[in-house]
Amino acid sequence: MAAVCLALAAGCGPQAAGDPAEAIKAGWNSYRMGEFNQAVKAFESAQAATKPGDPLYAQALYALATTWNLRRPGEDEALARRLYEKVLQEAPKSDEAAWSLLALARMQQLVQADQEPDYPAVRQAYQEVIDRFPEHLAAHEAFVHQQATWLTTLRPEDAQSVVDAIDKFVAAHPKSPFLNAVYSVQSCAYGILKQGEKHLQAELRALEHRELDPTNPNMDNAAVYWGIASIAEFECGDFATARKFYRRLIGEYPAEQRVYGARVALKRMDDLEAKTRKEVGLPAATPAAAPATGGGQ
Amino acid sequence: MTSRVFGFVRRWFALGVVLAVFGWAVITILAMRSDEAPSDTILLRVGHWQLEAGVRDGINALAADYQEVWHKQWEGGGKNADGQVWRELYPDKPKVKVVQDAIPETVYGQWVTTQLIGGTAPDMMEIGGVGGIPRTMEIQYWNRYFYSARPYINRPNPHNAGTELADVPFRLTFKDTMRGGYIEELQEYVAFPVSQFAVRIFYNRDLLKKLTGLDKAPTEYRAFLAACEKIQGRKNPQGKPYTPIAASAYHFQMWEGNMFNMVTYPALRKIDFNRDGFAGNDEVYTAFKIGRVSFDYPPYRAKFKMIREVSQYFQNGYTGLNRDDAVFLFAQQRAVFITTGTWDARGLQQQALGKFTVGVMDFPLPLPTDPEYGPYIEGPNYERPGSGAPFGITRFCMYPDVAADFMLFLCSQRGNEKLNQYFGWIPAIIHTREDPLLKGFEPHLVGVYEAINVNLGGETLIKWQQVLSKFQVDPNYTIDDLQRDFEPFYKDKGLKDFLEQQKDWRRGIQITEQGLAGMRARALVAGGDQAQADWIRYRATLMNRQVLMEIWHNMQMVMVEKGPILGDIGPYEYSPEVLDKIRERLRQGKDGH
Repeated sequence: MAAVCLALAAGCGPQAAGDPAEAIKAGWNSYRMGEFNQAVKAFESAQAATKPGDPLYAQALYALATTWNLRRPGEDEALARRLYEKVLQEAPKSDEAAWSLLALARMQQLVQADQEPDYPAVRQAYQEVIDRFPEHLAAHEAFVHQQATWLTTLRPEDAQSVVDAIDKFVAAHPKSPFLNAVYSVQSCAYGILKQGEKHLQAELRALEHRELDPTNPNMDNAAVYWGIASIAEFECGDFATARKFYRRLIGEYPAEQRVYGARVALKRMDDLEAKTRKEVGLPAATPAAAPATGGGQ
Repeated sequence: MTSRVFGFVRRWFALGVVLAVFGWAVITILAMRSDEAPSDTILLRVGHWQLEAGVRDGINALAADYQEVWHKQWEGGGKNADGQVWRELYPDKPKVKVVQDAIPETVYGQWVTTQLIGGTAPDMMEIGGVGGIPRTMEIQYWNRYFYSARPYINRPNPHNAGTELADVPFRLTFKDTMRGGYIEELQEYVAFPVSQFAVRIFYNRDLLKKLTGLDKAPTEYRAFLAACEKIQGRKNPQGKPYTPIAASAYHFQMWEGNMFNMVTYPALRKIDFNRDGFAGNDEVYTAFKIGRVSFDYPPYRAKFKMIREVSQYFQNGYTGLNRDDAVFLFAQQRAVFITTGTWDARGLQQQALGKFTVGVMDFPLPLPTDPEYGPYIEGPNYERPGSGAPFGITRFCMYPDVAADFMLFLCSQRGNEKLNQYFGWIPAIIHTREDPLLKGFEPHLVGVYEAINVNLGGETLIKWQQVLSKFQVDPNYTIDDLQRDFEPFYKDKGLKDFLEQQKDWRRGIQITEQGLAGMRARALVAGGDQAQADWIRYRATLMNRQVLMEIWHNMQMVMVEKGPILGDIGPYEYSPEVLDKIRERLRQGKDGH
């Protein structure tokens, strides 16, 4: 009995792992599977096996902080905050420090379901990430979140400030991997500003930088094509672009739900153009200039 | 001495009996287990709820085939997906045996939950939208208790060797590129879907001919109603009237989803305020609230008229009946039509065997010239092709690579075709042949869809269910009554229910944040191409599920509380400014053809 108790006791609490890197890897695997107690144990053992100054120490602390922050149920936000701050203290120049600072900002934004975030404070927290780690991916992500918070007001002046900030960001970081995100946010801003042409241009730039996960069967460009086509049609009256993207939707995604709508749109534009031509005294489009629209009603 | 022995027996008798029974149970179980899975055999258990005819036979047949395949590959130096030789991995297991646990649908959810939490789940399990398991719980189950199928998706399926799919990556051998095995929330492939499904109308050809003189069921709406009318006027040898359409509460949903909702599509052009091509519940609510639509709106009115016209040919009290009651009526040749999915096709065929011929027809469509429905019918109902019956490999499986190999076998071109021939279902794999009965089940890839989702949850949903039920059962309860009883309530209480639903949205954001942290960690430790792929997945999820969602959510809230941002202009109408631009472009010769 005593041996059993000893064996059980030995299984509790942090232990020095043989290989902290392996323990961290195992911990993240447990985390992804929702086995948070096991994840905490693994990260604690990695932490116990390393010392401040060791990159693995910061990794273990960050992982531990993330688990206490985001585990459900059983989260401990105060502990998570302390651990993130410890990462910032112990390894202030590390990758984990940048991600920890971003995590602290995210904690301010992701409030309980019945609360509203304190947006000025949230924006300031994102700004801190941008100021302290300007070239880090975490800062690029912080910038995207920060600009998105301005759009939540739906005020034109805030939308204009987002447009300007994004122009500056793109000029400073022309190769940022977050370009799709920043152009998508800018597109929303132009939508609020009701600037159709610029709205369309931002959408086209976002598409240019769009990254598709080829292994995700649900991820494609169908919704983006539809969005571009409808902005071109109804905000810009740019039927050339609208037709191009409705046709791309039909051609590239023939089983997509909106294919029928795209066909209707092509016919709608043909009909309107024919009517408008008559109104303004222009000759009807020649058959060569008006190819089949791929159906209609 | 005797009394001491007697005293000993009396003292320990109860314990002795318990121990004896326990010993007997242990021996029996061991003997049964040994009989079921001798020491040279890998035992794989598979749990599912498919009690339809043909399914268990199909799995047994494919299991028998796989036993041979396994033995051959074990003997012949066959390798697993990682290139390891099976025989070296399992030197003392030249045999495989597959055993089924077929559990009724009504208790399947509880069974899955207890098996998974109790750690006694079979090696492979079917999960997916059944048994009352909430979606969030199902995702947790997939994440916690099942192996990922990702290691197999980009490699050719070894069981397709010698076929035209020999070099095709596994996921691309599925008709839906394996969407049915992918969990968007986890960004992960977790299951092997084996079949596709579709819903159509089945009918008793012989009875139709006898009662109406028709050789084939009419697919034009008015002719279909006329046939139903004729059938209703006829009596069987017992003097009881025939029922044109066998139905139940379960079947009503199929009629609604595949037929009645078709006429509501034109509403999309009035209420799709964000122009995403769909009419969300928020947009429907807003449209009602600002008076853009009401139950007076002709396409909506048409839907309820169609419900009335068709459901008068359902049997009395159908809303209180269940699926089996309707099937029973059809099988007894007391009804001519029944709507159901491919999952019931084989069962209906078997029940009809030697008695009558089963025909399959599409849902009847009104003609474009139909005076009442013509203006609102723009096409058939859109059907998204997707695979179902997803089987995952549980983490309790002692031989997960062998279980995966069995699943690859079921999803091979030959295996899947054969399996679905037994099932009477549509194969999930491309370049496969299907049962002739299923010829009418090709999905409508171009079509219309519903634009009347009034489900905001909470009190308004309960009220909607009440008025709809009343409309279904009471012929004196008109669409005007339904409008009077529901519309003011919906407009008044809808916002509260919508706001309550939005709390779930915030909880969803938290869960996504949890997943993103795990994805980011994986990307940080991965190297080379894997890291790049992981970062792409991370950024795509971040963008679509967090950043834009927050903005859209706020736009949605403004729309619901204050009305659409577009004002009085319909989402698919051109503003005067845009019309000017169009004229100008035409004058400049920029017509865009």
